[in-house]
Formats: sequence, C-alpha cells, structure tokens
Amino acid sequence: MWPGRDRCAIVGIGATEFSRDAGRSELRLAIEASVAALTDAGIDPAAVDGIVRCDMDAVSHVALAEALGVRNLTYWGVTGPGGAAPCAQVAHAVAAVVSGEATTVLCPRSIAWASAGGLGSAMGRGAGGGAGGRGSYEELFVPYGLLAPASTYAAVARRHMHAFGTTREQLGAIALACRARANANPAAQMHERPLDLDTYLAGRPISTPLGLFDCCLVSDGACAVVVTSAERAADCAQPAVSITAVAQGSGPGIQGGMLSSVLVRDDPLTWPCRWVGEELWRRAGLGPAEVDVAQIYDCFTPTVLIQLEDYGFCAKGEGGPFAASGAIGFDGSLPINTAGGNLSEAYIHGMNHVVEGVRQLRGESTSPVPGAEVCLVTSGPPPATSAMVLTRAA
Amino acid sequence: MSGIRPARDPDTWGVFAAAADGRVVVGECSSCRAVLHLPRPYCHRCGSFEVGWRTVAGRGRLWSWTTVHQSIHPAFEAPYTVVVVELDDEPGVRLVGRVPGEPDLEIGMALVARFEPLGGDGDGALVQWDPAEDRRNAWVS
Repeated sequence: MWPGRDRCAIVGIGATEFSRDAGRSELRLAIEASVAALTDAGIDPAAVDGIVRCDMDAVSHVALAEALGVRNLTYWGVTGPGGAAPCAQVAHAVAAVVSGEATTVLCPRSIAWASAGGLGSAMGRGAGGGAGGRGSYEELFVPYGLLAPASTYAAVARRHMHAFGTTREQLGAIALACRARANANPAAQMHERPLDLDTYLAGRPISTPLGLFDCCLVSDGACAVVVTSAERAADCAQPAVSITAVAQGSGPGIQGGMLSSVLVRDDPLTWPCRWVGEELWRRAGLGPAEVDVAQIYDCFTPTVLIQLEDYGFCAKGEGGPFAASGAIGFDGSLPINTAGGNLSEAYIHGMNHVVEGVRQLRGESTSPVPGAEVCLVTSGPPPATSAMVLTRAA
Repeated sequence: MSGIRPARDPDTWGVFAAAADGRVVVGECSSCRAVLHLPRPYCHRCGSFEVGWRTVAGRGRLWSWTTVHQSIHPAFEAPYTVVVVELDDEPGVRLVGRVPGEPDLEIGMALVARFEPLGGDGDGALVQWDPAEDRRNAWVS
C-alpha cells in the first residue's frame, strides 16, 4: 500500500475575494489567504514549519514566513510549472509530514495577473536576447507566434476535433457546466453572469477554434490550504478532509519546455494525466467510478475534455459526448468545478480547486453534492502534473 | 523578419543555422542515429553526447493549426495563423510555423518549407511553410 495513504489531512482553507484588480500586493493577498486558512484550522501561524510554493508565485517562502511570524521553518519547497502546482504542493506537504521534515505545512497561491495585464505580460516573453533558450525550448515556438497558452490548447483542440469529431458545442458544455456553478457561488467572478450555448458560440474568437468562453478568467486573489498529519488533524477546529492519495506524474516522452512542447510529443492528445491517474487510483485504492465530485483544472475547455478521458471517466476520444451528455452537470454522474473553476470562479491557478474540494467534503460548498464522500482534484496539464483524491475523514 | 527572435541556444541553434542554409534539420544522435526531437545534447538510448543534425526534405503535412485573433505581443499583429506540421521524412516529428492572416487550411494538406532570414546581426533563419500545391496561391505575399 502507498505509505502516504490517508496519513495527512487538509485542516484549513482560506481565500481572498476574487477580482480583476485587488488593489494590493501579492504578498498581502498571500498573507490574507494564509491567515484565513490557519484561523480556519485553529492553528497558530507561528507554528507553521513548512511552506510549499508554486514556481510562478511572486511570494517567497521567507517573505511569507516572516510576515506570519513563523518561529522556525524546517521545510520549504517549490513545484510547478504554474497550474501544475497545487496538488503537487500538497504532495510535497504530505511527503514532508510523513518523513518528519515538518508537521504543519502551508500551501499558498497568490496571483495578481489581472491587474498586471494578463499572463502574457506576466511572463515577460521576448525580452533581451531573444525568446527562450537555456533549456526552455521556447525559442522553437515563440518566434512563430505561439505565445498565448490559448493557442497551444487550440491546436490540440482542433486535432481532437479532427481525430474524434469533437464539436464546439461539446466544448461549450464544459464552459456552461462551470458557469452554472459559478452562478450559484457568490464569491465567483462570474456569479451574476449566466451563460447559454448561443452566447458561448457567439463569443469572439481568441485562437480558433477557441473563443472567449473557452478561456479562463484573469484574476487577482489568493488561496491557501494547511496540511498536517491525520493525528494532529483530530485536534483542529474543522472536520478534517483526508488526503487519501496524491500523485505527480510526467509519463514517458514528456518533452522539455512548458506548454507548446505538447505539440511535439508522440501523442499530443494524451497528457501526463493518464499516468498521474494510473498512479493516483492505485495509491488511493479507488477508481474513477468511486468519485462523487471532481474539481478538474480548467484553464481552457479542452483541458477538461482531455482530462475526462485521461483520468478514465470515459474512453479516449469520447470526452466530447461525455461532457455534452450532462454527466458533468450538478445533477450528473460527475459534477465538476462546483465553485465555477478557473473558467468562471477565478484563476487562482487551480488552488481554488483544492479549496473547493475541501468545501465539498465539509458540506460547505455553495453547490453541495448530496452525500459526496470522494472528491478528485486535478492540477494543470499538459506539463507534468498532479492530482489528488480527497475523502471525508472517518 | 518581424516578430520575436529566437535566443541563440547551443542545443537548438543548429535548427536556425541550417535554415539560413536552406535546409530543414532534426536533431539526431551521431552514434546510434536516433532522432532527438526536440533537440537535446544527450542520447539516452546509447549514452552518447555526440549529437548532430539530420537534413530532411522540406515537405510535410498539416497536423493542426490555430488562427490567433487576440495577440498578446505587439510583435505579432492579429490575425495570424500558427501551423503545426508533421514532416514527410520523419513521421511523428512536428515543427511549427507562422502564416499571415487566416488562410484556407485543411488538416493533412501538403506543405513545403520556406526559409525566412532573421536579418539584423544574426545569421539564422526561421523555417516557414507554404502550400505545396499551386504556389501561385501561396499565402505569403
């Protein structure tokens, strides 16, 4: 059996409000979310002894530790890239707790890309001596105009359409499912903005075949979660949510580079999620059929499409019909992104998915799935990525 | 060229140098001849650090594409189209290229390479792609 199984729990969650301009620093946002998560857990911030960051987070572990008044940080780590991080941050936290490197690990994600002008500006591409180089492989893609993440996902989506007959309407079902849950979530950026299929299809093109409503939001905000041992979790303020299993994975032939290099893998339509999923289900002793609710990373609609296939909810190529069947809606067999996801709640790079997964199992979601006991949370592909299975602690 | 120049990286610059010489190349292991794509300085199949470049025909098939309507960089004026091309000589090896505007495309269509000098103080070129049939209707002005 996997030695980490149900050994740790998420005992605290915190979030700021989500907006297009928070009007305060990423450090301030990180502190707010972290204090909220620690307060939620009933843990003195001084007692935090581990911090695991996302590589794209501006806030360093020492800046956050100092701000919180941490007495002694004994473990810190960083993972990513970007949206691949959140479940992997939890994986590092579990590893640290199980191995004795730390007892109380904070996993924050603070982001202010909306007020900074979006991802393109934040990534600052094309500066100085040309794009890419130094092992990034961006030099093979950026000079050809493959800059926005949307364009890479769009090229994958078009090939998926060609190979399997996937339609815009089927991608739209993903966007609409997320939006419907955001409409029920007062904290979501799209709370008051209903979306129907005609509006979706009429959305202005961004990078064909993807349009406006296939793309996630840009946001300012922060989320944080607190991980500790199952034993300590019993003494915390909230009902513990057990980390039954967590896994990272690359699979073979991952390619260097970050996003664009998915296009040069042997099979660009099968992502590392396939291997993450195999390992995750083995570690959890559960399978996709046992999942009651899922928070599936959704930077773009095709990201969800391919994960539905790779994590085994349907066969390869059947993600479109599966999504359009109603399965991913609130009353379906696999309700997804019950706070709205990156597409309609906020783009906190997937840490909001972790927070919502915990809320579901505490019964605190604004769209509570009746009787939910098993929640899948995934982080962002196509880079090597991560996912976890959360369950109600016994 | 207009746009963003590639950085001069020791492991990948051979692609741009060969293009300046009118050739499409893919990385290969000089010992066991394995294709190394994306190019990398080590062959895990045979353990060799001796790597080089294999010249292939500048012909391929359109694997996918996207027309970018919202540019995120002033160097690229929208709309423009990014093509993903699979090489005829090396099935499974894909390269990307950029085409102005919104050309009429079909997955599987035959394409031929064209070489676009980087200009300036560099000596490299980008590999771009044109339709193989009826060059009079090539999308490049």
